[in-house]
Amino acid sequence: MSTALAPSRAAPLAAPAGFLRMFSGFRVLLPFAALVVLWWTIKIAAGISDEVLVSPATAFAAFVRLVDTGVLAEYAGTSLRMIGACAVFSLAVGVPIGFAVGVNRYAARSCEGFLRFLQGVSGIAWLPLVIIWLGLSYKTTLAVVIYTLIVPIVFNTMIGVRTIPENYVLALRSLGAGRLRLATDVYLPGALPSIVVGLRLGMGYGWRALIAAEMLVHSGGLGDLIFSARTFNQIDRIIVGMIVIGCLYIIVDRLIVQPIENLTIARWGVLRK
Amino acid sequence: MADPMSSSDKIVVSGFRHFFTTADGDVQATDKVDLTIRSGEFVTLVGPSGCGKTTLLKAIAGFIRPTEGTIHCDGKLVQGPGRERGVVFQELAILPWRTVRRNIGHGLEIAGVSRAERDKTVRRLIELTGLTGFEERYPHELSGGMRQRVAVARTWAADPDVILMDEPFAAVDAMTRLTLQEELARLCAATRKTVFFITHSVDEAVFLGDRLLVMTRRPGRIKAEIAVPGRASGRDWESFTADPEMQGIAERVLKMVREERGAALPSGAPARPVGALA
Amino acid sequence: MSAVAPSASSARLRLDRVAWMLLPAAPFVAVLAAWAAYWQIVRPPAATLPSILAVVQVVGDIAGDGRLGANVLASLWRLLLGASLGILTGVVAGFATGLYRGISEFLSPLVIFFNAISGIVWLPLMIGWLGIGTALAVFVIWNTVFFIVFQNTVLGVQLVPEVLEQGVRALGAGRFETLRSVTLPGALPYILSGIRSGLGFGWRALIAAELVGAPSGLGQMIFAAGDYHRSDIIIAGCLIIGVIAIAMDRWILYPIEQRTVQRWGLITDAEKEGV
Repeated sequence: MSTALAPSRAAPLAAPAGFLRMFSGFRVLLPFAALVVLWWTIKIAAGISDEVLVSPATAFAAFVRLVDTGVLAEYAGTSLRMIGACAVFSLAVGVPIGFAVGVNRYAARSCEGFLRFLQGVSGIAWLPLVIIWLGLSYKTTLAVVIYTLIVPIVFNTMIGVRTIPENYVLALRSLGAGRLRLATDVYLPGALPSIVVGLRLGMGYGWRALIAAEMLVHSGGLGDLIFSARTFNQIDRIIVGMIVIGCLYIIVDRLIVQPIENLTIARWGVLRK
Repeated sequence: MADPMSSSDKIVVSGFRHFFTTADGDVQATDKVDLTIRSGEFVTLVGPSGCGKTTLLKAIAGFIRPTEGTIHCDGKLVQGPGRERGVVFQELAILPWRTVRRNIGHGLEIAGVSRAERDKTVRRLIELTGLTGFEERYPHELSGGMRQRVAVARTWAADPDVILMDEPFAAVDAMTRLTLQEELARLCAATRKTVFFITHSVDEAVFLGDRLLVMTRRPGRIKAEIAVPGRASGRDWESFTADPEMQGIAERVLKMVREERGAALPSGAPARPVGALA
Repeated sequence: MSAVAPSASSARLRLDRVAWMLLPAAPFVAVLAAWAAYWQIVRPPAATLPSILAVVQVVGDIAGDGRLGANVLASLWRLLLGASLGILTGVVAGFATGLYRGISEFLSPLVIFFNAISGIVWLPLMIGWLGIGTALAVFVIWNTVFFIVFQNTVLGVQLVPEVLEQGVRALGAGRFETLRSVTLPGALPYILSGIRSGLGFGWRALIAAELVGAPSGLGQMIFAAGDYHRSDIIIAGCLIIGVIAIAMDRWILYPIEQRTVQRWGLITDAEKEGV
């Protein structure tokens, strides 16, 4: 009743506002519409058989079928649950490790090269070995994706801690702050922007590693969906799967991770290196 | 809050000499320094760039351990930073992720002061430092001068025994600097703190200090000590520039500092502009 | 600045410097030590975890009979092909797009979407078109590298301050001259950053593609080894993959960082990241 008189104190939610702005209207859908038209034209004009490329209509029909039968929800759910669990675990374990390593100059120096090396080997390369250890199951996928996610998180947390200006720490110590205070009032907030960057990167690498692992481990998930569809030449399913993979990644990145990043920038003023 | 004007020595530096170790050998930062800061005093230390005054301040603050000599605060040996020795840095000191209000109250928060008490003190300091209206702003929304006001307010709010100020206004533009100096003078008059203030601006040192120390160039030692009559209260730049005694002191000190720099003074030096850096 | 004769503490400092140089080796040494200890105590079957010695031996074996060399070359060759194509097309397309705001805004959602599915997500579809082999791997790499380089190029071109371009135009420079002398150098740090980033992603995508289906290459080598439970070959392969990734980054990274450091003050997307 009195809502009209109540001062609007609601802080703008970065997520919906940005999301709406990005996804509303013509500007975003038009290029995709153009792409679909191009797709259709090429298929018809070049006379491509359904074995090689299906038409947008066929693909859409497959999409509807997959949704109706609940198959899409199941496979997509598996992938999302996996990436979500891995992200939570990697943050919970990786951030403290990154802190522990970051606060000490020598530890940071010794771990930097090692972390880069682990990144270079990439979780997927270890897959054959993990398969030997854990078999062809979700456990293997879990291990590989956690590995992929945790490395950039530890690395960036480490960097975040190291780039905190010394004055902040000294100033707080001259105010009587002990270790715990420094951790909660300086190190954690100070490193937060870097941690978020690490999360964002990790999600990028992790999502790709997840799809690849699912292809090989073959026990659920969108990677499994599109790879198995290949065996039966179900091009329509492959295309639907690819589109869903892309859309889900964008949704997770823009709706969840980016808003966190923006919130951090808004408070801190600047995203530091 | 105000310390009674006692003759107790707050800070005693004796035989302080500091060396920095580099791979090519030791570099001497300061020569032998003995100094005493008494309760309620505003002591300024002026010297050319690189003379070691920041090193001295860092040692008093407890950020570095003296290579030689000892530093005592209230009779206790200084072995590290502590809340009895507050520090105001030149820049990058207040936390960017806290509002002005929360930054100022930070020391009290750490000390476990109750919310109500905290708010009271913070409000008072916001008034005293002219930050009214900016309580909920974040540092990145403030100018350099405002940020330094917050830094000063934060240290004052924590009520340390001694306040160490490391060229706090050096990174601020010239006009704001003059304003901040006047504000600091008023703040000190209202709160009676013990302050140790280092700078390379002669005018700033004379304007603010009760007692002024001059440091030689690197490796620095205290070359001269000058008492500046009259308390900092009520000092403003207009009266300061009009006061012949003050100007005389400033010229003397400037000459001493210039000697250290090696610059020869022309005979019959013309009047210097206000706020001139040594 | 008066320096006194080197003291005991400065000698200690020089020792510190040596230690500083050696520190990065510490975690590797720790892992090797843990590995050796575990192997000694538990004596796991070779298929689960071979001894360090076994891995070293197998490296010698596959290097000796040429398998390692052949596979490394096969992978690197694919990377070179795919990355060059990706860089070339990415820069050209990026320039063409970046110069016209209307086009870049129109294409932006598409690029974001295709970047999200870049790399191995195309594998199932492309196997049908290209079969299993080098062409497939090259496509995957091209795909990965192209979108990263493209995005960075567009960003770089758009971020060149207009005032610089206008200044040169005012001196009488034509369209092409402006592009050559202002836009290209101005966008270069971003382009180089995109190349570095793209190569990293590309190498990873390549290994993944080879794992899934390729007749040769490092990825294929470790995948086949997995079938035969040859953990020694897998580990050896992984380590070599890692070494190549580091070596590539170092030998491309440093020249790139030199270039970007010269143009002080530019913070690219890739520089915001740590890894």
